[in-house]
Amino acid sequence: MRRLLYEARRAASSPNRNARSATVFGRLLGAAFVICLLTGLYSHFLQEPLDGMRFPTSPVWLYQVSQGVHITAGIACIPLLLVKLHSVFPQLFQHPPIKHPVDVLERASIALFVATSILQLVTGLLNTYQYYPWPFPFKQVHFALSFVIIGSLAIHIAVKLPLITRYWRARDSYDAEGRFVEPSSELDEARAAFVAESEATAELARFRAVRDADGTRRDRDPHAAPPAPARGLTGRVLRWIDSAHEVDREPGRARVSRRGFFTAAGVATGGVVALTAGQSFAPLSPLNAFGPRQRGLGPNDLPINRTAAAARVLETAMDPDWRLDVLVGGVATSFTLDALRGFDGADERLPIACVEGWSQTGSWRGVRLVDLLAAAGAPTDQRLRLTSLEEKGGYRVTEMGPEYASDPRTLVALELNGEPLSIDHGYPARMIAPGRPGVLQTKWLSSIEVLS
Amino acid sequence: MSARVPSAASSAGGAGTSRTVRVVRGVLIALGVALVGLGGWVLTDTVSPNRYGGLLLWLAGSVVVHDAVLAPVVAAVSLLVRRTGRRIRPAVLWIVQGAVVVGAIFSLVVVPEIVAKAKGPKNDTVLPFDYGLRLAVLWLVIAALTAAVVALYLARRRQKVRPSTDQV
Repeated sequence: MRRLLYEARRAASSPNRNARSATVFGRLLGAAFVICLLTGLYSHFLQEPLDGMRFPTSPVWLYQVSQGVHITAGIACIPLLLVKLHSVFPQLFQHPPIKHPVDVLERASIALFVATSILQLVTGLLNTYQYYPWPFPFKQVHFALSFVIIGSLAIHIAVKLPLITRYWRARDSYDAEGRFVEPSSELDEARAAFVAESEATAELARFRAVRDADGTRRDRDPHAAPPAPARGLTGRVLRWIDSAHEVDREPGRARVSRRGFFTAAGVATGGVVALTAGQSFAPLSPLNAFGPRQRGLGPNDLPINRTAAAARVLETAMDPDWRLDVLVGGVATSFTLDALRGFDGADERLPIACVEGWSQTGSWRGVRLVDLLAAAGAPTDQRLRLTSLEEKGGYRVTEMGPEYASDPRTLVALELNGEPLSIDHGYPARMIAPGRPGVLQTKWLSSIEVLS
Repeated sequence: MSARVPSAASSAGGAGTSRTVRVVRGVLIALGVALVGLGGWVLTDTVSPNRYGGLLLWLAGSVVVHDAVLAPVVAAVSLLVRRTGRRIRPAVLWIVQGAVVVGAIFSLVVVPEIVAKAKGPKNDTVLPFDYGLRLAVLWLVIAALTAAVVALYLARRRQKVRPSTDQV
């Protein structure tokens, strides 16, 4: 078993798989994960605020940017996690697997971290494709796992802290010839033992090669491997692997290999970001080749999530008797569509920003919510309950904090991008407030209740 | 590949550093354990127990797919390339390898999108593109760029080598 682990580790080794690469990609990945956690928490609390929580309504693009960053950083994490795991793969075959009680904590935290972060990125990405092939609820698991990921990451950083500080800077990591400087045994006993063992084996092999050379004198290719002690098929495979590693001992090759690895990682990360982030960030829109949404595409030139058909409002929304009720203390004031059109029209440019990351700013025209509330004799500094015509759905009834209710930019919108609202965008009237997630911009408004 | 560091280098920071390290470690571990606990509590609080089995299976599956399939395949390909590519210039080898890595990572991101599109999105504004075609075009672009970069590298190298050989 020991030998198997050792050989597996040796086979998997390469000039790019060292503590310096792990440190470089680890800190990028760590930063991206923390960004994802913070932007994710912001999105979570916007949707499920704790008692007394208030949110900024300016700048109006705050949520658009925070959620765009959340999704984009998450996509960037995919190549970063892969190269980070690639850098440390040989460590999987460490022998003995557990040397010290701390190793239990370390290995457990790594297992937890790897499992949760892979699952988080896979399910997060597929959620933006609205594709859910797994047998558990996405939103709740995504939220719970985010804490587990950051927690296990903190434990992992704690365990590896001496190695991280040792290889923080490039100039401390490579010698003058560009060779990676192995950690001393105090920092990483397993790694140091591995290096010592690797050198000892090579030495032994060289000694045996010289000793056996008296009989059949082989053609001496300078690149040829020293014969490994193992025999049979395994021996041949191991010898072949060793010969593949021969080239890594040339510092020039190792440097090229390392440069190539870092460049590939950078291009892959930059590439997936550049070709998808256009769904969230207007300047990158022309590059949006693989994003699941395209700005400007859809009714009223804007994408949609839930259609009128899916929400089963095709009839109720087109009903000529439709009324918007404003309820204050059990008294309802009803507004017909014509009555709403009779208000002084207000124009605002506000973004629709989906939790799935895509967003687009639209030109909205409608009634200012503060004007509507005043017309119904309602205070404008209270929490509101918004109800949609939808028959069911998690966002049929939602609440709106007083910071949005009192913001003069919040509209009961009747038009979007110069046209009457499409039924898929919430005809006859929808809410549009600055800095809120799209799911809370209630479509097919039915009633607004002032809570006290 | 291995140059040993003098053992003094690791303890260069002295006792002060190690005390700082100990404190930071303690804080990080306490924070980490607390967050993992919080995550576990949130999970049990919001997810029904009959979903735990599926979740555990997917968590374990994530590790197995990476550690037992993806990573060994990458390691084997990397060995194969290093072994068979010994006669090729290392830089050229790495440009090609890097291009394949970039294409493979794009494929990992886009293939689920192709599957999701094939399953039928909820409306026309979700997954509006022909992602399969776009991925194929991307691979072609990567191949063309790789060829151009290799050609450029070889041309520049030839230019650099010539004057020095003249002098010899």
